[in-house]
Amino acid sequence: MIFLRRQVPLLITLITGIVFAAQYYVPHPASEQMLTSVTKWLQIIGGFALVLGVSSLFHVHAVKIRRKEAGWGYSFVLYVSMVGTIAVGLWSNGKEAVDGTMTAFGWIYNFMMVPLQGTMFAILAFFIASAAYRSFRARSREAAVLLIAAVIVMMGRVPLGEYLIPISGDLSQWILNVLNASVRRAILIGVSLGTIALSIKIIFGLERSYLGGGKE
Amino acid sequence: MSFSERMLKIDRRIIFLVIGVCTLLPLLYPVGLPIKISNEVRGVYDHIESLPEGSVFLLSLDFDPASKPELQPQAISLLRHAFKKNLRVVAMTLWVSGTGLADQIITQVAREMGKESGKDYVFLGWSPGGTAVIINMGQDLYGAFPADYNGKPTKGLPVLQHVANLRDVNYAVSLGAGRPGVEEWYVFGRDKYKFELGGGCTGVMAPGLYPLLRSGQINGLIGGLRGAAEYETLMDQKGRAIAGMDAQSATHLAIIVLVIMCNLFYFSSRNRTRLQGQSGAH
Amino acid sequence: MLKTSSFSPTQPRRAETRLFPYFVLGSSKSSTYSSGEEVPGSSGWASENCYASGFDSPAALLDERFEHPAYSGRTRMRHITTGQCTETEFFCSLRVPVKRETLPVKNRGRRVWVASSLLLVVVLSQSWVPVFAQSDAEKTTLSPPQDLRVFDTPSDGGGSLTVLWSLASYDSAATKYQILLSEGSTVSDPAAMKVVAEFPSNQRYVRESKWPWWTRPATRDQHQFTLRNGRGIELNDGTVYNITVAAVQNDDRLIATPVQATPQPNWMNWNQMNNLLLALLFGGIVFYAIGTARKREIFLRRIPGLDAVDEAIGRATELGKPILYLTGAHDMSDPSTIAAAVILGRVAKRTAAYETDLLVPHRDPITMAVCQEITKQAYLEAGKPDLYKEDSNFFITSDQFSYTAAVDGIMLRKKPAANFFMGHYFAEALLLTETGASTGAIQIAGTDADHQLPFFVTTCDYTLIGEELYAASAYLSREPVQVGTLRGQDIGKALILGVLGIGTVLATLGVMLDAQWPQLFLDVFKDVK
Repeated sequence: MIFLRRQVPLLITLITGIVFAAQYYVPHPASEQMLTSVTKWLQIIGGFALVLGVSSLFHVHAVKIRRKEAGWGYSFVLYVSMVGTIAVGLWSNGKEAVDGTMTAFGWIYNFMMVPLQGTMFAILAFFIASAAYRSFRARSREAAVLLIAAVIVMMGRVPLGEYLIPISGDLSQWILNVLNASVRRAILIGVSLGTIALSIKIIFGLERSYLGGGKE
Repeated sequence: MSFSERMLKIDRRIIFLVIGVCTLLPLLYPVGLPIKISNEVRGVYDHIESLPEGSVFLLSLDFDPASKPELQPQAISLLRHAFKKNLRVVAMTLWVSGTGLADQIITQVAREMGKESGKDYVFLGWSPGGTAVIINMGQDLYGAFPADYNGKPTKGLPVLQHVANLRDVNYAVSLGAGRPGVEEWYVFGRDKYKFELGGGCTGVMAPGLYPLLRSGQINGLIGGLRGAAEYETLMDQKGRAIAGMDAQSATHLAIIVLVIMCNLFYFSSRNRTRLQGQSGAH
Repeated sequence: MLKTSSFSPTQPRRAETRLFPYFVLGSSKSSTYSSGEEVPGSSGWASENCYASGFDSPAALLDERFEHPAYSGRTRMRHITTGQCTETEFFCSLRVPVKRETLPVKNRGRRVWVASSLLLVVVLSQSWVPVFAQSDAEKTTLSPPQDLRVFDTPSDGGGSLTVLWSLASYDSAATKYQILLSEGSTVSDPAAMKVVAEFPSNQRYVRESKWPWWTRPATRDQHQFTLRNGRGIELNDGTVYNITVAAVQNDDRLIATPVQATPQPNWMNWNQMNNLLLALLFGGIVFYAIGTARKREIFLRRIPGLDAVDEAIGRATELGKPILYLTGAHDMSDPSTIAAAVILGRVAKRTAAYETDLLVPHRDPITMAVCQEITKQAYLEAGKPDLYKEDSNFFITSDQFSYTAAVDGIMLRKKPAANFFMGHYFAEALLLTETGASTGAIQIAGTDADHQLPFFVTTCDYTLIGEELYAASAYLSREPVQVGTLRGQDIGKALILGVLGIGTVLATLGVMLDAQWPQLFLDVFKDVK
């Protein structure tokens, strides 16, 4: 069992990792064909992963409702919403509109999902303001520099700011194009090296945490 | 507690109220200040302008309803521009929750510009796999999307004539709100299949994409609502983005005033504490 | 401008031949022509990235005074480019002075005056050259393209042929080249071959194709055109094609002798060998570092953020409130989630020791399973296995904002004293941290999500930025694999820094000295596609 749970996945990871790392350097059509086949498999597995995600959600909240744990009411609402949306979606064939007429699924999408998601994102604007009021204090030299740069960029990115202080537009562009880009590049290099190192460790089986479970 | 200290600990809801008023009033009473065009946005605009009629333009609407306020105006302006130039538009999305929204946007703009599905544009819809979809499209577009969003087979569509894969796309723009987004389109798409790529993103993501822009990996970047407003200005078509700029201006100014006030209160409170400490010592 | 020569014509010359370099620096004009654009009327001798001026070096006028001139006739031009605009150009030539008898001062003065006037006229006349050069080009005799070579494009997937031919004296905007193609091994009439491309003859050079030096098929100033399958051109692998190039000027058309070639797919992309070698080198460094870490202890400086972690746990214990720990938006294949899981082990050990409640809501079932094991193990190591709660790690949902709403609700209801945000986050970052801040909790964040860093920095008491998160997990776990990887990454970064420094110096030298050899080093680190 250990062989199937541990050794086989590690072997598959090793072989496919090396093959597809090498594939990048092989332009031959056979190599491209292999890549096409594998990405099609990836798409199929990705579809299954969606099903897995939904079924695990069903299971977790069903247990909560059955045991009447704390907050089981919310789980019940979640259950009803999920089942209802799936039923309506299947009935409408997954289409939000047919020949310009909105379906029931489209109604749920436009009048429930869109406003709810939009609201969550819109809260950010208010939270940014309260976070800025609480945190943008010139406690130190570095904080003062951060504060000044933030003010310049905030002014330069809106028409009113550019109208009041014309130079703020060019200054904010310079901050974004020169200071920001160079720092992002440095962070990107560091993170990319980390990702490459992790990929190498996963391919060669040095990193196994993605398989789940603890140490053996 | 002194006035400064009280102001430093002010209830967050008062700040929320200030922001709410600053957002609402300009929407009700717009001012309409001029918008300066940046080189980043001009990069995308100029490239589309340079495309001859009949070129294939791929637009990937990789966002969900949460990012609708920023990215929908971008999508609308780009589609209007592409249709105005009589380009062949191939639209799609890598985000399942954005499929309905993407379909609405394309249908709305196409109807407005008098374009026909299958002939002038096609909406391929969504396919699972994220970056695998990009790779698949690079190899064989019809394999990745055998049918469009409405179930019509993609092979044989007039709009996809002589388009076998991503190498036949003249220009692609990804409007991304996260992952997969612009970076994935570059790494798995442009890097391998050598088409020109532009980007659009939310305001918070834009600074992170500047390294790609500066190195020429993408030839233009439309960042946030400001970018969308600039594009609408270039198109000479006032839309939601330009309307939103007044609100954004007021909000930014409000935040700056709040930050300045908070610093004044902070320094005042600090001085007071220091003076009290000194008088206490004496 | 002419630089002063190293000898003075008014001074008596020595009888013996003297060898010394004599540099004549001349500038024609500053130009804002973009890279690759030709000055109208320029002919031949196209320079690196810009254009030819077509004028003779002023030093050539003094040829008679010298023996063994290094160059005769036209001087090759090199241009300084910044990649965007060309700037002032320089050229140089080497001359060796000859033995000559001294002349009377008066005659020497007159000769110098005449030579200077001639030089001035030549320098000033440069601005007229484009005007006249065009008409000169038109009068140049047309001839078939020379040294035509056609071969399968290397390092590709097939369906492509590369055509190379030499520069011609008539290359200009007025003359055109046509690429002619026909299928089969024999050609009855080259003039009847299909024209698949046509372009001005002052375009399409090897240098524009960005070959790295180890695969470049010809010198940079040769003409090159790549035929690819598709868009009206059909090139099938294994099929023999005849290709030729025709030069067209007004009604004249001269065709070179057709050459046969067969497109074939290749098994190796040699253009990206530098990429492969660098990747293998980095992999080797990582393995070496891991091997070293297994044999001996590698020093890691203490990450300041870890003190903040201990402080936060202590505070939560004092207040008798739970600790909330989040592992981010990604799954276990992401380095930030792995780092978050390792740090959770340490936090769990402390909470076990202090008997504080731990809440770990998850977005991914596999991450939850891994973190459950880690927490259990931590409680075991702390000697408090009975205090371990199975549901301390629980799955909420994978949807971004649903998860955020749920966690915000937990924060407002349970009011944890310490919040840990470790891993990768997206837009939900500020929603989580701001809500946490409103409850008065101490907040520690660690993320490699650079676009969310500003929000974490402003709302959290302490933030581990980018690789500090990886370093913290390596520091805590002391696992040779983690520590070795960190060391390997540091060596990689040091190498990159070195390359940046050396590359900048070499690129600057290359521009200043107008040399090509720095490109040998720079190409190795260029991303060539």
